[in-house]
Amino acid sequence: MGTATNPNLTNLQPLGKPKRIRISHNALWGYIFIAPVALYLLVFSIGPILFSFWVSLHNWNMITPVADMESVGLKNFQYILGDDDVFRKALLNTFRFTILGVGTNTVLGLCGALLLNANIRFRTFWRTIFFLPIVTAPLALGMMWGTLLNKNFGLVNRILNAIGLPSQPFLSSPDQALYCIILIAVYQYVGYYIIVMTAGLQGIPEEYYDAAAVDGANWWQSFRHITLPLLRPVVLFLVVTNTIGALQVFDIVFATTTGGAETSGGGPAGATMVLVLHMYNNAFKFFKMGRASAMAMVLFAIIFIVTLVQMRLMRERA
Amino acid sequence: MKVFRILITLIVLGTFLLTAACAKTASPAAEEQAAVPTPEPVKLVMLTHWGEESMLKPMQALLDEYMAANPNVTIEYQSTSFDQLLTKITTAQAAGISPDIYHIYNLWVPDFVKGGMLAAPSDDVVAEIKGNYSEGSVGAVTAAGQVWGYPTEINTYQLLYNKKMFADAGITKVPETLDELKDAACKLTKKNADGTLVHTGMAVMPGWDSGVTHPFLSLLWSNNGQYLSPDLSKSLFNSPEGLAVLKLYSDLIKQGCIDPGLGGSYSDFTTGKSAMIIMANWVRAELQTSFVDGYENVGVAPIPHGPSGKSTTLQYNWLWAVDKSSKNVEEAWKLVKWLNTARGAGKASPMGEYLTTALGAIPSGLSDQKALSNTMSEYFMAAFLASTSTTMPEPILVGGQEIKTALQTNVEAAWYGQKTDEEALADAAKEADRILTENK
Repeated sequence: MGTATNPNLTNLQPLGKPKRIRISHNALWGYIFIAPVALYLLVFSIGPILFSFWVSLHNWNMITPVADMESVGLKNFQYILGDDDVFRKALLNTFRFTILGVGTNTVLGLCGALLLNANIRFRTFWRTIFFLPIVTAPLALGMMWGTLLNKNFGLVNRILNAIGLPSQPFLSSPDQALYCIILIAVYQYVGYYIIVMTAGLQGIPEEYYDAAAVDGANWWQSFRHITLPLLRPVVLFLVVTNTIGALQVFDIVFATTTGGAETSGGGPAGATMVLVLHMYNNAFKFFKMGRASAMAMVLFAIIFIVTLVQMRLMRERA
Repeated sequence: MKVFRILITLIVLGTFLLTAACAKTASPAAEEQAAVPTPEPVKLVMLTHWGEESMLKPMQALLDEYMAANPNVTIEYQSTSFDQLLTKITTAQAAGISPDIYHIYNLWVPDFVKGGMLAAPSDDVVAEIKGNYSEGSVGAVTAAGQVWGYPTEINTYQLLYNKKMFADAGITKVPETLDELKDAACKLTKKNADGTLVHTGMAVMPGWDSGVTHPFLSLLWSNNGQYLSPDLSKSLFNSPEGLAVLKLYSDLIKQGCIDPGLGGSYSDFTTGKSAMIIMANWVRAELQTSFVDGYENVGVAPIPHGPSGKSTTLQYNWLWAVDKSSKNVEEAWKLVKWLNTARGAGKASPMGEYLTTALGAIPSGLSDQKALSNTMSEYFMAAFLASTSTTMPEPILVGGQEIKTALQTNVEAAWYGQKTDEEALADAAKEADRILTENK
């Protein structure tokens, strides 16, 4: 009778000393240094995201204890994606705001940066002027533009009338209000694009342009084959970060479309309703935290996908 | 060492005997004092939306008075703007740091009750509220068959008009019917020779749910229409009466007698950009300080009515409520009760005094209305007080705020020509019915 061999045991490696995970002294210090940030992210970012996802599957009014939340499965998602007309309108407005706002800012930012990078007089002064709106509170900007663009008593219409053009309703027109807000956002953020792109332009070695000039390249050829490719990482950074920011727009819409402490924004007639404002109203005005969390999840997914696509596109072109 | 031990023993014994002797000779008063336990220190946090300086100081004075009479109680008074009040209460609740007492809009009560957030008052407080407040006010603070707090200010809506602009336009009769309102609004609209606007006939307040829906509902009821069914299961505003009211607005907008893009706030009336507005009484303080043609030129008239209706106005209330999670529920109710109880026979309560002097509001308490009859006889206050006999309370129900916003958005869509009047009311009714079904 031969000895029976368990086939499962044949592949086993001979038992030796258990392998110890070795962490170098430097790596240990590295972990210690990143621990506070990791903990911060876990508590204030990842934790809330997971909690928000959990809430999105429930009906919760923020008042009842978390343990008593009523589970509703995917009903909140079903409602916002299927039946909520305001959500659809808000989503569309948010996309419009993002595409037009980020697109315009990128083009204007590049033009401004090229101008500031040239040898113009008072360069520092112009930089300061372009950067000023960034450091102004969005609420103050919203109020200022709200007054300037007032249909009947605003300065902009007075100027239009003075040069023989008809008055425009601007923020009081459902057809024009969103575009006015986009223009205000461009006014506020274009300085940031200019400053970052100017820094990017100054990082391009002058020798490349000299070599291109020696080869007979004109301004456009230098711009297309040297400036744009080498500026691509900066543009990618600006487009990705600002797309994320623009998809979460709230303050400038809230500030520009509220007529006083009592008003809730998104007007006129919901024409400037954006996703985060709709989310805010659902959570804090209607006690629908589950529904608001479902919207947050949808927005999270949109931002995630849009960012991935943008990065892939920019890398492919590079 | 032995001597040292004996010495220590003697000292300890001596101290013990001395303490015992002193205790024996203590005065009877001190003995009595020792028998009555000193009240535990209590800290109460109170939240309101009365944050302006003119409102803060008188409230703080009242609280100081209470603290002086109750030295163990410390009150921390917090205030925020109206648009942040609900957010602050709900987020504080979620974070477990709720104020003990808050002053809230009665439309929020059903949601707060559903969430088990409010502490029910004791039977004697309920009895006092039922005895000293009108049926409408008691109803306004009742949800699920329970009274939840002391009603404070009553707000109703009336037609406010600029007497000077009426005189300038040669209008001698204040509009009483919807047709007269329409005529007056157009006669009062004034433009320059170049077509630029000087002022409109009537102001509207787009972007603000109450600013749109409250005047709309006042006109709807005055036109013999209904908002919701009595059992709150169905919307009824999508009716010929509702349509007539929305059409009135739309016609006035088409004719340029109302401009929804004017400014969008009641300050359009205050600053003279409009000759009329349907507005609540709480605006009185601002009218007194900054009405463009002087407070004496502010006229108050009942809501114009339709052919088959009578002037009716919307009423809403505010109330003091106590948070159920408060560690000092009893002390909190004690303070709220003190604030709302008359200081003596024929005298007003501290809240009554505060509401009429600091806010220019109508107190809900009947004893306050009587005790402060001199103040209430001022023409503006008297007109609004008189209107309380023809009010319809704003229905309080779970989802009430969402229905209001749906109605506001659709009415505005009609104002701006994005929807026809019929489409706007039909869409608002559909959304309202969905919300009512969802919260059944």
